[in-house]
Amino acid sequence: MSTKEERERIELLQGTLDLLILRTLLLGPAHGHAIAKAIEFKSDDVLQVEQGSLYPALHRLIKRRWISVEEGTSENNRRAKFYKLTPTGRRQLTLETRKWDKLAGAIARILRPAGQEDES
Amino acid sequence: MRRRKRMLNELDEDIQEHIARETQDNLDRGMSPEEARYAAMRKFGNVMQVKEEARDVWNLLWLEQLLEDMRFGLRLLRKNPGFTLVAILTLALGIGANAAVFSVVYAVLLRPLPYKDPASLLVLHETTPKVGDVSVSFPNFIDWRAASRTFRQMAAVQAVDFNLAGVTQPENISGDAVSPNFLSMMGVRPFLGRDFDASEEKPGTAPVLLLSFSLWQSHLGGDPNAVGKTITLDGRSFTIVGVLPPNYRSLDTTDVMLPIGVWATDNSGAIKERGERGDMVVIGRLAAGAGFGQARAEMEGIAARLAIEYPGSNDQFSVKLQPIRQAFVGDMKTAILVLFGAVLFVLLIACANVANLFLVRGASRTKEIALRIAFGASRGRIIRQMLTESLILACFGGVVGVGLALGGIRGMARLIPGDMLSGATVNLNGAVLLFVAGVVALAAFIFGLAPALHSTKPDVQSELKEGGRSSGGGVAQNRLRGALAVAEISLALVLLIGAGLMMKSLYRLLEVDPGFRPERVLTMGMDLRAQQYSEDPAVLNFWQQLIDRVSALPGVQSAAVGTVIPLTDSHSRSDVTIEGMALPTPGNFPHPDVHIVSPGYITALGIPLLRGRTFTDQDNEKAPLAGMINAMVARRFFPNEDPIGKRFMFGHPSAANPPKWYTVVGVVSDTRLYGLANPARLEVYVPFRQNPRNSMALVVKSGADPASLTSAIRDAVQSIDKDQPVFAVSTMQELVSNSVATRRMTLVLLGLFSGLALVLGAIGIYGVISYSVAQRTHEIGIRMALGAPRADVFRLVVGEGLKLAGAGITIGIAAAFGLARLLSSLLYGISATDFETFLGVAVLLALVALVACYVPARRAMRVDPTVALRYE
Repeated sequence: MSTKEERERIELLQGTLDLLILRTLLLGPAHGHAIAKAIEFKSDDVLQVEQGSLYPALHRLIKRRWISVEEGTSENNRRAKFYKLTPTGRRQLTLETRKWDKLAGAIARILRPAGQEDES
Repeated sequence: MRRRKRMLNELDEDIQEHIARETQDNLDRGMSPEEARYAAMRKFGNVMQVKEEARDVWNLLWLEQLLEDMRFGLRLLRKNPGFTLVAILTLALGIGANAAVFSVVYAVLLRPLPYKDPASLLVLHETTPKVGDVSVSFPNFIDWRAASRTFRQMAAVQAVDFNLAGVTQPENISGDAVSPNFLSMMGVRPFLGRDFDASEEKPGTAPVLLLSFSLWQSHLGGDPNAVGKTITLDGRSFTIVGVLPPNYRSLDTTDVMLPIGVWATDNSGAIKERGERGDMVVIGRLAAGAGFGQARAEMEGIAARLAIEYPGSNDQFSVKLQPIRQAFVGDMKTAILVLFGAVLFVLLIACANVANLFLVRGASRTKEIALRIAFGASRGRIIRQMLTESLILACFGGVVGVGLALGGIRGMARLIPGDMLSGATVNLNGAVLLFVAGVVALAAFIFGLAPALHSTKPDVQSELKEGGRSSGGGVAQNRLRGALAVAEISLALVLLIGAGLMMKSLYRLLEVDPGFRPERVLTMGMDLRAQQYSEDPAVLNFWQQLIDRVSALPGVQSAAVGTVIPLTDSHSRSDVTIEGMALPTPGNFPHPDVHIVSPGYITALGIPLLRGRTFTDQDNEKAPLAGMINAMVARRFFPNEDPIGKRFMFGHPSAANPPKWYTVVGVVSDTRLYGLANPARLEVYVPFRQNPRNSMALVVKSGADPASLTSAIRDAVQSIDKDQPVFAVSTMQELVSNSVATRRMTLVLLGLFSGLALVLGAIGIYGVISYSVAQRTHEIGIRMALGAPRADVFRLVVGEGLKLAGAGITIGIAAAFGLARLLSSLLYGISATDFETFLGVAVLLALVALVACYVPARRAMRVDPTVALRYE
């Protein structure tokens, strides 16, 4: 755990955690710890998520009925809650992804106007 | 709901599970068990905060938190009974005073008048520069009504009165003679029976009337079959056609209401003279879309045309319009608003005091709060909790305050003369309670927010590290507390200056020589209306007998009758012509007040005779006409000559009005008929035997308490005529006192509120200084150990207090300079920026501040250095 590594991590934008959770669950139901691992792993450890903050987000998504929860046993026979994308959640994900692409594109265009693209 | 419960119940488990997995992962990476668990927890973050946030997701949370906060707040308040009691009492005083004054504000200024769309109702008077607002003459009303387009409807209301046999003794009752459309225009429907019919405006229709609800109750026992029965007034029989609703309000007392036809016409059926102005107002309802300005412009135009058309009666007469609310409120408005402002100041001071208490307590809670923040409570959450606590306190204050207000309202009702409220009932009603609720919330916010914001400032977290060595506070807190004390002092100063100005002007006003001696004088009215008094000799005989019998009563020094009692609102004025004067235009004749009096009148009232003689029994119906004038008439019309022997007549000389000259026999002092604050006017006196009048007032000067004579005098009246009512019984001193009632009420309440403000302000500064001394015990100990003389320590502490007081006084004086102007119309004989008052109050406040600092300063002086140094 070098300090250098930590400095390169980026704090999540407000609300993006929800999107990441939905995207992760698109691959199939998962329990909390697995979701956190998956986000960290897929972002090559760039995104710094305080794992705890996952839980309020999960509650939020359940309340909106974008995900559902069911009891199950995990790979090593431990009791765990599995979170699952609902049909509404699936639709929401498409919607949010499109929105995100638009936003990211717009920001990118502002930060790097055409013609300077090769500078870096 | 179920989801919520399940999710939250299992959250703990989930979190533990999560951390266990992360620990396992770490172990797999080869960490030591301890290290693995620690790293997992660090990665997870603040468990408390996560739980809190997860709960936040499921709303309804605020309610839960509120309940929790309330429980917590109540527990804290119970734990500090002293603090709680002082805070609640302070708030209760502020809130109670506000509730009491607001109940008057609501009753007089806000409560909707019981009419349909009262905003479009206007009251119209005639007005003339010579005397101000006067009654409307009926023919002018007829012309206004015909010409006006901005008014949809107009109705005349004439004040009348009657003698009624009564239940136990004869009574004199008041009534309104109104145009038949009056009630429907006002949107008032009779409680029983019917409204007047348009045909009933015409003279000669059968006499009918509506009873007031209270007269129906008291004289007919609320008889449901009263309609159709008759009632006898002045010996004439009237058919009752209806009863007015219980909430009916009018500008004066209305015991009965009848169509105006009979009153606006003389016996021949012709409408009364245009020049005759009795006691009539006109009420109009604006047409849709017409505004006040338009109506005024139109009416002034109509009046100007009438003045040209009828110069004899209308020269220099115009119209004055006012919204009906204003007519009801009268001169109370300024006083009420001033008092309302004053109680708000008191409330602010109370809030500042409680905020100070909170800050002191907050200081001892700094550690608790810092701890909670460290454990993950958000700042907003803690502020919310502290505000909940303030709100609980304010609610208790509100409840106690309402209790105080109940007493206060009763006290205030006694201070305000009933007729000044014109029928408004002052009580603790829903509107007042709603206002109190608002005040409670506002107060909680005012005194709770500053301490809450302050004690949750991020830098207080450093408190933890200080290990609690300092007893809290720090520079910022002391500055805040000082600022609150300064604010209290400046607010108190403004109130004290207001009270001081009122006191001084009331004193000046009561020092005014009214021109008569009110001590031990009793007055009462009588109106001879029975058939037997239709001839002058019978009238004169009644008054003469009355004077003779009352004079003979034990304890009576002198008794007399007169038509006008000073300081009441009954006045009689007439144009006069002085023999030999150059005749002015009709509107510019001298227009003195006319007194028709018996010989003892000026003796009974103690009006000094300046020249010549007063009337005697010889100035009777057979003698040449005699008159007296007041000093002002003498000065104005006979500046360089002896007025005795000069002559005047009433009215303007013309062929139709052959001169009846009155010879001046005496000159008397001016009297302040229209109130102590209003300058004296022209007055003439004529003997009652030469001008018989049915309605007069008895004036009795007694050797002892005049009120004790009342029943003996009533008996004397009844021994002459057992059916003759007596009304408006009052001592002259009561009349004087009533005439300054608004000012006195303002003074008493303003004095009370400023006294309260002074005490609270003194407590405030005392609290700040003694707390600062307690905080600085250590420092003071060091100073003394190093040889500082006790006097220096004393000076140090007092100096700190006086610095606050000085700032407060300076700010207060600046504010008072601006605000005292609002009092101007209530002041008499001094300016709103009276130097003496400002100086006196500033000195008083400085002295009080000095006393408030003295106690803690003494305490500081007695600090024992060895104890102080060991203390920490």
